Amino acid sequence: MDAKAFDTRRAFLARVTGALGALMGAAAVIPGLGLLLAPLRKVTVSGAGRPLRVGRAQDVRPAKPLRVTVAGEQQDAWLRLERVTLGSCWLVRATETAPVRAFSTVCPHLGCGIDFDDKTRQFQCPCHASSFDLDGRCLTGPSPRGLDELEVSTSGSDVLVRYQRFRTNTPGKEPIG
Amino acid sequence: MTSAPAPTPQSPRASRRGWLDERLGLSELQAAILGGEMPGGAGFWHALGAAAAGLFVVEAITGVFLALFYAPSVQTAWASVAYLQDQLPLGWFVRGLHSFGSSAMIVVTGLHLLQVLLFGAYRRPRELNWIVGLGLFGLTALFALSGYLLPWDQKGYWAKLVEATIAGSTPVIGPAAQQIIQGGSAFGNATVTHAFAAHTMALPAAFVALVVLHVYLYRRHGPTPRWWLSAREVAARTVPAWPHQAARDATAAALALAVVAVATLAQHGPPLESPADPTSSYLARPEWYALPLFQLRMFFEGRLEIVATMVIPGVATALLVALPFLDRAPTRRPAQRRAILFGAALGVGAMAVLATIALARDARDPAYAKARAEEDARSREARRLALKGVPPEGGLAVYRNDPLNRARELWEQRCAGCHALSGTGGDKGPDLKGYGSRAWIRGFLLDPDGALYMGTAKLDRGMKPVNGSLDELDALTEMVYAETGAPDANPERAAAGRALISGKDCDGCHEVDGEGENTGPNLKGRGTLDWVEAVIADAGQPRLYGEKNKMPKFADKLAATEIEDLAKFVIGQKTTR
Repeated sequence: MDAKAFDTRRAFLARVTGALGALMGAAAVIPGLGLLLAPLRKVTVSGAGRPLRVGRAQDVRPAKPLRVTVAGEQQDAWLRLERVTLGSCWLVRATETAPVRAFSTVCPHLGCGIDFDDKTRQFQCPCHASSFDLDGRCLTGPSPRGLDELEVSTSGSDVLVRYQRFRTNTPGKEPIG
Repeated sequence: MTSAPAPTPQSPRASRRGWLDERLGLSELQAAILGGEMPGGAGFWHALGAAAAGLFVVEAITGVFLALFYAPSVQTAWASVAYLQDQLPLGWFVRGLHSFGSSAMIVVTGLHLLQVLLFGAYRRPRELNWIVGLGLFGLTALFALSGYLLPWDQKGYWAKLVEATIAGSTPVIGPAAQQIIQGGSAFGNATVTHAFAAHTMALPAAFVALVVLHVYLYRRHGPTPRWWLSAREVAARTVPAWPHQAARDATAAALALAVVAVATLAQHGPPLESPADPTSSYLARPEWYALPLFQLRMFFEGRLEIVATMVIPGVATALLVALPFLDRAPTRRPAQRRAILFGAALGVGAMAVLATIALARDARDPAYAKARAEEDARSREARRLALKGVPPEGGLAVYRNDPLNRARELWEQRCAGCHALSGTGGDKGPDLKGYGSRAWIRGFLLDPDGALYMGTAKLDRGMKPVNGSLDELDALTEMVYAETGAPDANPERAAAGRALISGKDCDGCHEVDGEGENTGPNLKGRGTLDWVEAVIADAGQPRLYGEKNKMPKFADKLAATEIEDLAKFVIGQKTTR
């Protein structure tokens, strides 16, 4: 074998080696991307999606918001949980006879837990000081939208809430999951 | 020594590489690992170690992807693996590469060991690299053993339990060793986390360290050429390892991976048996590579068991470690090492024979085939039910996802105290096996106070037996049978039965309009889902058994869905044998 043919053969073998190495790497990595990227296509945590009982209407006093937790079944990746706390919400009514409304306690800004300040009679975010009135409208602070209202229904004296989470820090109210 | 091709300054790609190379010394690193010469030429003989290393890299990569969704605890291990394999895109494929890849690693590492043995490559000055290689083989086995347990399915659980017990029977240190291996006083959550820590952290670190040492020593001493070449031939055929040997290394590794990928595709992923059930009597069989030891143990009973579990494997390991020092042959030609090679062949042959005996015995054993088929069915059922999510109590609770299973559980708790099924259960209410079938109804009409029917309830003035011709009895049976909504009921015969109600004085106690109340239950829709649900909810309602009722009211004890499941279960007794 002359020197030139030898060099060609060496270059070919080097390319074969590199190609096979890359092929093996791809064979191991590409299927794995199916797992890595699964969260983009698959809902891993899903809540009840149906109205859940959170309390009694008569316990909600006018202009005195009541914080309640929402518990229901949840599918969390491989687990099926029959009764977990999905989140909490504020129940509000304007007058004795007005219908009960519910606002998520998740701040639409960055997701902190909204509090109610008895003195100012406003909802208050403890993290970045957004404040909201009793109708959930944003008064001050960085929140891009008012409090997220949740669907409320009643059954006898029971208040039922369809709990949902929404994307935070967007002007619009987009449900997650 | 030849290094990777030197960069040519004119191409931009080469100059970029030159820039990096100046700073990182990549070509030196490449030369340190893949450089050197192949005395006597390159060949696939020398590619087995590299193939094992290639498989290890694939194991490491797929292992990280699997860890994205694996949750190591008794309650979540099986559930998370089932989720990964059956619900995530390509999860089955990644797990297949990882699982079948581990078998391939054992095969390739074993072949590598035999090649080194045959070539006499363990001899001076490579004794220590032989021992490092044995260490890598041992780590490969530990990887397999610890990884096996992680899904916490029947196979992994029982295999590990047997291994831990064997470790526990080691003299002196046994009990302590067992507790450390299982991470606690008994099998449990800590067993899973210990296996997980070993499999994903300790073993990979140790493996990489030994591989670095192995490659360093290999490069220090160089490859051992084929023994049949003369010194002149070896010198004449010598080529640089890069790229001549590297191309063969890559080919061998890619072939091994291709086999693994084909196996994964053919099986659509590796097996995942049903969730570990400590109360079952599972027919435990180890993975193929442990079959020789499994079979060996069969020949040693009682106190001699330790010969199979410890003495023989221990002696074999000691002989392998000591091999370079036992070999006194003047050259490494096989002809001069007959005793060693004969011993090695004997060992490999014995393992093959033992494994064959074990496989052949199971293949002939109908009991094994039956247990295998049952486990396959159970595993399919568990994985189907897991698609809805596994309850937090763990893998075994997945069977509760099936309403029928939940109903069976409820039946045991709530109903079996009074009702029997084919004689098994309580004796205060009717035996409900076959309830809703013509045979049950006919038997009831003939002997309502019989031991299988209402007699068990010891009613005061219960129903009187039907008195009539066989033809009349058949007609009445068909009438009641038609009320269950059975699609195969004969409407003419049922109508004939209905015509007999007054004549036979059934209507003295029974209404058939679905609303009327009387001393006996209203027969409209008797045996339908609604009717059975109503009986379970409150058998004492006036439309049903009224004041004669002795069955407890379940409306306030069970949820509506539970009552529905139970009613379906009772109706299902018509056909279940």
